[in-house]
Amino acid sequence: MTEQSRVCLVVDDSRLVRKVARRILESRGFAVEEAEDGKVALDACQRRLPGCVLLDWNMPVMNGIEFLKALRSQFGPEQPPVLFCTTENDISFIEQAIEHGAQEFIMKPFDEEILVSKFTQVGLL
Amino acid sequence: MDDLLAEFLTETNENLADLDVALVRLERNPDDGETLSLIFRLVHTIKGTCGFLGLPRLEKVAHAAENVLGRVRDGVLGVTPDLISTVLAAIDQIKFIVAELGKTGAEPGGDDAALILRLDAVSNGHAPPPAAAPAAAPPPAVAPPPAAVLPVLPAAAAAPVAAAAAEPPRATPEAAAEAPQSNQTIRLGVDVLEDLMTLVSELVLTRNQLLQLARSRESAAFSVPLQRLSHITTDLQEGVMKTRMQPIGNAWGKLPRLVRDLTLELDKRIELVMHGAETELDRQVLELIKDPLTHMVRNSADHGLETPAERRAAGKAETGHITLNAFHEGGHIVIEVGDDGRGLPVDKIRSKIISKGLATEAELVGMTDNQILRFIFRPGFSTAATITAVSGRGVGMDVVKTNVERIGGTIELASTAGQGTIFTIKIPLTLAIVSALIVEAGGERFAIPQLSVVELVRAGTEASAGAQAGEPVLQMINDTPVLRLRDRLLPLVNLADLLRLGTDPARAAEPRRHIVVAQVGASLLGIVVDRVFDTEEIVVKPVAPIMRHVTMFSGNTILGDGSVIMILDPNGIARATGIAGSADGRGAGGRPAAGKAGRSDERAAMLLFRAGGTEPKVVPLGLVARLEEIAADQIEVGADQVVTQYRGRLMPLIAMSGELDLTRPRQIVLVFADTERRLGHDRCMGLVVDEIIDVVEETLAIQLATNRPGILGKAVIAGKATDIIDAGYWLTRAFADWFDGGGDASQGNGTRLLIVEDSAFFRQMLVPSLVAAGFDVTAVGSAAEALALADAGVPFSAIVSDIEMPDMDGLAFVARLRAGGPWQELPVIALTGMTSPAQIEAGRAAGFTDYVRKFEREALLASLRQCLTISAEHRLHA
Repeated sequence: MTEQSRVCLVVDDSRLVRKVARRILESRGFAVEEAEDGKVALDACQRRLPGCVLLDWNMPVMNGIEFLKALRSQFGPEQPPVLFCTTENDISFIEQAIEHGAQEFIMKPFDEEILVSKFTQVGLL
Repeated sequence: MDDLLAEFLTETNENLADLDVALVRLERNPDDGETLSLIFRLVHTIKGTCGFLGLPRLEKVAHAAENVLGRVRDGVLGVTPDLISTVLAAIDQIKFIVAELGKTGAEPGGDDAALILRLDAVSNGHAPPPAAAPAAAPPPAVAPPPAAVLPVLPAAAAAPVAAAAAEPPRATPEAAAEAPQSNQTIRLGVDVLEDLMTLVSELVLTRNQLLQLARSRESAAFSVPLQRLSHITTDLQEGVMKTRMQPIGNAWGKLPRLVRDLTLELDKRIELVMHGAETELDRQVLELIKDPLTHMVRNSADHGLETPAERRAAGKAETGHITLNAFHEGGHIVIEVGDDGRGLPVDKIRSKIISKGLATEAELVGMTDNQILRFIFRPGFSTAATITAVSGRGVGMDVVKTNVERIGGTIELASTAGQGTIFTIKIPLTLAIVSALIVEAGGERFAIPQLSVVELVRAGTEASAGAQAGEPVLQMINDTPVLRLRDRLLPLVNLADLLRLGTDPARAAEPRRHIVVAQVGASLLGIVVDRVFDTEEIVVKPVAPIMRHVTMFSGNTILGDGSVIMILDPNGIARATGIAGSADGRGAGGRPAAGKAGRSDERAAMLLFRAGGTEPKVVPLGLVARLEEIAADQIEVGADQVVTQYRGRLMPLIAMSGELDLTRPRQIVLVFADTERRLGHDRCMGLVVDEIIDVVEETLAIQLATNRPGILGKAVIAGKATDIIDAGYWLTRAFADWFDGGGDASQGNGTRLLIVEDSAFFRQMLVPSLVAAGFDVTAVGSAAEALALADAGVPFSAIVSDIEMPDMDGLAFVARLRAGGPWQELPVIALTGMTSPAQIEAGRAAGFTDYVRKFEREALLASLRQCLTISAEHRLHA
């Protein structure tokens, strides 16, 4: 089984976005788990904490901020870093995300270069 | 195609489908925050994902639409029909671009500047002063938390967790077996499921083969594992079937948007109500039913529902409803498409049928309203006076019906004027494996889908020994074989003859044959077969192209013993035999309860007249004593009766139209008289009519089908549909006790009388008047039924029999009676339209006691009395 620190949980309601992220991350040696909303992501974390989380903001059932709050309040000090995704329309959420414990934000649409550089900044690559 | 693009197309199409539904819902409930969030998120996702693939044109449109929705979400803009229409226009444009993308792999050329301008105008046009606009985006807490998932429709895209790599673009989400985490789903290509289904089908066949082998060889060692194999195969079959199941809501997804657009287009108020959207059926069936359903909803909106003004005038709520209802029933799914509109206009349809030459007026006469309504399923039928853009799209209900029948389904309709119409579609849950009855004809075996099998009967001709009364009987009417089943006549098809297989003479000579009664449209068809085997689950394989033009077959299959047999299509058989009419409910069996079709080839003199309307009416001339013209001054209007002096006594006058028009100088009167002088009772009544037209001699083809008092039924007279009046009704209008025998109530004295008469019409004419004369009457429709009564030892005092009857005529019947048996000595009176001396002689030679012309009630009563007296004297002397 993959070492837990190399597992990235990709949380996004779009299969396409998850697929793009999976492709890039797998090529960089990550194992990828997917979740289509915050609730599913939280359940996954309860089963097994991933090494890091790539988190979308606007999702059904439980959005990114709600997930982030829950993650930070429910789990102990050993928390995975969270990279928060957003678009130019939701710039106001970046501040909020950082406030709630996101390590970095990534503008959508991202490509391999952007993703790799952000992961490197956080120290995951 | 790039698999990212494929994924994008699948996902975007799912989102678009959800968007249509959600936008329509938002328009109806502008304050529904949840729906608004959903819409925003869906557009947002489309826009967001465009960027990943570099689709600038799509992204611009989505972006502009997202802006508008963002303003709505932020409370800056209100939800108006205009706003929704503009957003829907953007959605349509996105659909168009996505469709092109799917076809060519690239965005189409062109730009959407106008649309984007419009979206921007909506976005800004209603916005309050600029200060409140973009910069003042409220804190996120204002946005209602997107809490619940789609509440109404089981939209296909509940974005499943992709645990495995997704493959082709048209993959559908299918729930895997109930794993501990119920949210774990995988996406599979449809072709994978199809392949699985094919393999399972083959496995089922192999299993059946093995079971058949095991049956012939009593080997205990194999029986246990074989049974297990059998169970596992069944479970596997069910499991694989389940993966193909989809909620019917998937086929309904487009309808709310459709109805919404129709609402604007037609300027009507329509609400679409959907029940049972979660009802599941095979995706193959689902695909095939999609278009027919859409067409029917379109029809309901266009033709079925009235405009708000019309609805107000009719005292209904302005908003009309179209209701979709789906539920399981047996191995089938029933889908109802109903509206609470004006109902189908029978009169318009009738005139349309005639003008289109689909049937003649005469043919329509005998039909119920429902039978007439079913003409809308005929090719080339469209009732809209002007073909509207909505309904007139080249497909009609005939296409709907054909499509439904192609998948082994049926379609029924019920319509009530002013209250609405309901179409009921019944289709099998799956087409892959069906239950079928295996039969044999001409040495070959065939499968008949169980869905169309109504019952199995064994029947012989009347001549064949042992036919019991009330049992199904094979008869010939006009050289056409029919099955008399209870009170219905069903057209018969001999399968071996139809398929031109050599008939096994031993089989054909069998007195009693096996008949599969099959449902064809709304009516029944009897299929004569040689043997009937078991029912079996068969795997339907398509008919080979070389045989596809033979519409009698719907497929083929492999039986347990390995033999390949054809699957029969009863609809195709009906068409092939030219009983196509019965597919529209015009067959003899088409009228289950309302009335019995009585045919008679008797020629009879009928008096044609007019009364209370322009339509001609007739009465058998034999019932009319005289025709009189009575001057107005001869008529006396009493307190409760209008009478005239007639041949020395008072004769009551009854106007057929209900009200006697006393302003006329002369009244035309049909005199009905009871002139049985020997009994000293002699009275008469006059039926006042408007005009005598003619006396015609006609072969009567009578349909006894009316609830109108005073009318017995309809017949085609001189090429026109004509009401036959019920003389008995009018007689009792004059004298309530007319049939009580005028104080001499019991001429018959409870004497038991048997009437043998194949025509229901004449039975109906005869029985009441004989009962009224005091006889205890039993009526049967054939000589065979009468002989069955004889065999059963039922005692009668006399028999009245028709001469012309199918299978066994009156002469043969009486000859049979005279040959011996309990009824050897009974008086038998022949009833006939023709009484030439030669015929009377032939009749007497065969054994008839007396001859009476049809309709001559008095003569019959006189003859009966005479015969009974003689017969009583015989007994005294004996």
